Amino acid sequence: MTAAPPDATSTAPEAAPAPRRRRGRPPSWGAIVTVAVLGVFAFGPVYWVAVTAFTPTADVFRFPPRLFPERLTVENFSTLWDNPVLLRYLANSLIVSTLTALLTVVVSAYTAYSFAKFRYRGRRSLMYLVLASQMFPQALLLITLYLVFSQVGLLNSYLALILSFTTFTLPLCIWMLKGFFDTIPDELIEAAKVDGAGQGAIIHRILLPVSLPGLVATGLFAFIRGWNDFIFALTLAGPEKQTLPPGLVNTFLGEVETAWPALMAASLVVSLPVVIGFAVLQRYLVAGLTAGAVKG
Amino acid sequence: MSDQLSRRNLLKLLGAGVGLAVAGPTLAACAPSGSTESSGGLSDDGVKQFPFTTWAANEAVTKEPLAALISRYTGANGGTTIQTPSYPYNDYLNQLLLQVQGGQLKGAMQLDVAWLATLAATGKLADLGSVAAGQDYTDAALALGRVDGKQVGLPWTQAGIGLIGNQEILTRAGVSAPPRTVEEFEAALRAVKGLGGGIVPYAAMTKVDQLKDIIAWMWTFGSPVVDSGRIVVDDEGSVAALTWYKKLYDEKLIAADVNRVDARALMSQGKAAFYEDAISGRAAVTKSSTDSALGDKLRPLARPVRAAGDKPRHLAWGHVIAVVNAEGGAAAAQFAKTLTTDPAYSTEWFAKAGLPPTTRAGLAASDVQQNAFAAAFSREIAANSSAGPFWIHPQFSQMEKVLAEKVQAALIGRSSPKEALTEAREQMSALIK
Repeated sequence: MTAAPPDATSTAPEAAPAPRRRRGRPPSWGAIVTVAVLGVFAFGPVYWVAVTAFTPTADVFRFPPRLFPERLTVENFSTLWDNPVLLRYLANSLIVSTLTALLTVVVSAYTAYSFAKFRYRGRRSLMYLVLASQMFPQALLLITLYLVFSQVGLLNSYLALILSFTTFTLPLCIWMLKGFFDTIPDELIEAAKVDGAGQGAIIHRILLPVSLPGLVATGLFAFIRGWNDFIFALTLAGPEKQTLPPGLVNTFLGEVETAWPALMAASLVVSLPVVIGFAVLQRYLVAGLTAGAVKG
Repeated sequence: MSDQLSRRNLLKLLGAGVGLAVAGPTLAACAPSGSTESSGGLSDDGVKQFPFTTWAANEAVTKEPLAALISRYTGANGGTTIQTPSYPYNDYLNQLLLQVQGGQLKGAMQLDVAWLATLAATGKLADLGSVAAGQDYTDAALALGRVDGKQVGLPWTQAGIGLIGNQEILTRAGVSAPPRTVEEFEAALRAVKGLGGGIVPYAAMTKVDQLKDIIAWMWTFGSPVVDSGRIVVDDEGSVAALTWYKKLYDEKLIAADVNRVDARALMSQGKAAFYEDAISGRAAVTKSSTDSALGDKLRPLARPVRAAGDKPRHLAWGHVIAVVNAEGGAAAAQFAKTLTTDPAYSTEWFAKAGLPPTTRAGLAASDVQQNAFAAAFSREIAANSSAGPFWIHPQFSQMEKVLAEKVQAALIGRSSPKEALTEAREQMSALIK
């Protein structure tokens, strides 16, 4: 048996793998500039909040302003610990936003299921009626809610905020979840019925588990609505139940003076729980928001 | 139907809602259009528990001094309990209108003097005439708490919005004496501009949100602004004032896009020689400055007049305490009287918050007299301050905004001063038809 003479390539030391060639066209300058501009637009304010939070008060107001601070300090964060009322605002925000999210998810899930999987008289009208409630200026609804809550003694309570926030989140959440439920094949429900499942089992054991991304997206949307609201929280909650947005404004924005560095420090700290929550749940959010967008 | 849900109240609340929808500029929409009718005097119902609604309870400078004053008062008046609900200053009037109209608010409330007529138009404020009678308030201060002849507010602090100069910059520019006339003022501004270094000679208001300051210049140039209830912002004096203001703008003696916050920032950095502010603005300027001696360089100056011998004119600024005619109103009125007239309270308020008293005895107190800035401010500015001409209208905020927008249009050359002010008069008059 004669061995074949080794060819030149086999005797040569092992060559490094050729660099992978990128497929497709290289990114254009236009795309790079667009992404850069969008990045500055999105993160510029966040950067400015962070920089202001760590800048001494006297430097914050230097003219012209500086993009990069010359001195850094953590003294602005001391106001957080000196101001226990801010923790109360934070707790109020967490309570109100969490309960708003839960209530919204529960109510909108059942409503959306009804709209998506049942056909009954007045269904379409009801769907548009729900949507129509979004058309009213919220300030007008604020007055109505103020009157109603005043009459039933709900002013200055968590419930007043939770109910009002839920009122505003429900229409969009119902439509969002309906879009999600529409993508779930009816055959799945029929199969469950054949296996003897009732409506309760179908929605709780089949529909909701496969709709987790949609439910999380809905809950996050409702949570953000409750977390960010200013005017309803200011008007309906009263001083004891005030949430962070009016609480921070009330604490740091005065008649003649605004404590910008302390306000930015407080904003930075109280944003952290939400940012972390989003980082953990963002894949559900994206899946939930896009699920109903393309109906196959 | 209950009183709270009567058709009239519902309409009033809806009005307030529209105001909230476009908060700020349309503040006046929050108010009812009814006539001012205070609910008469107060009778003691024996209730000693009441709220004192105030933005001072949450502001860094005033929070602790106010808590101390309330603690002192409740300690001296057994059985009295005072809560201090608070709302942000910028949303304060809307919130109070809504709550007063809805019957939710009782007790005493701190008010900006500009808001008093708007709140009084709800008809829910108590007539405090008997409470104020015989007290030592100055006439000017007492007048700021009066609406349509009724005393619906007790003056807590009173000053004005006037010129503040940086003495060091003025000295460097060779301005040795305060300018007394408009011509001297212009000369001083040109001298400061000659210093270079990016110094704005006069950080006057040029943004819409504070351009109402021009009203004081309109007065200075001889316009009454409102004459026998008629708006006359396009008369000869007002047009002359705006023409002069535009000249300063065109010659860069005043800068574009400046509001009070910007002006304070410029002053704190030593980049402006003059600006206009209330007495409480000094603390904000000095606090944000790297120059620890800046406070000593700031000088309150009487507004220059058109001709020697004229009286300087300033827009009033101050706080009053009003009382809702409801349960606990008498106790709240007693508290308001003590807070505003008792020297032990007013002197401490001045010492800790820097806000001057409104009584003759309070102003004569040694602490006030020995404070050079406060004494000069009272003498040069507060003594010649007058209520804003539009404050009597619940739509005052909208009216001031219309005026400011038209003035700004003239400044940037979009219309002539005469055209701009004529449009302003027409639109402002339409608001109060």
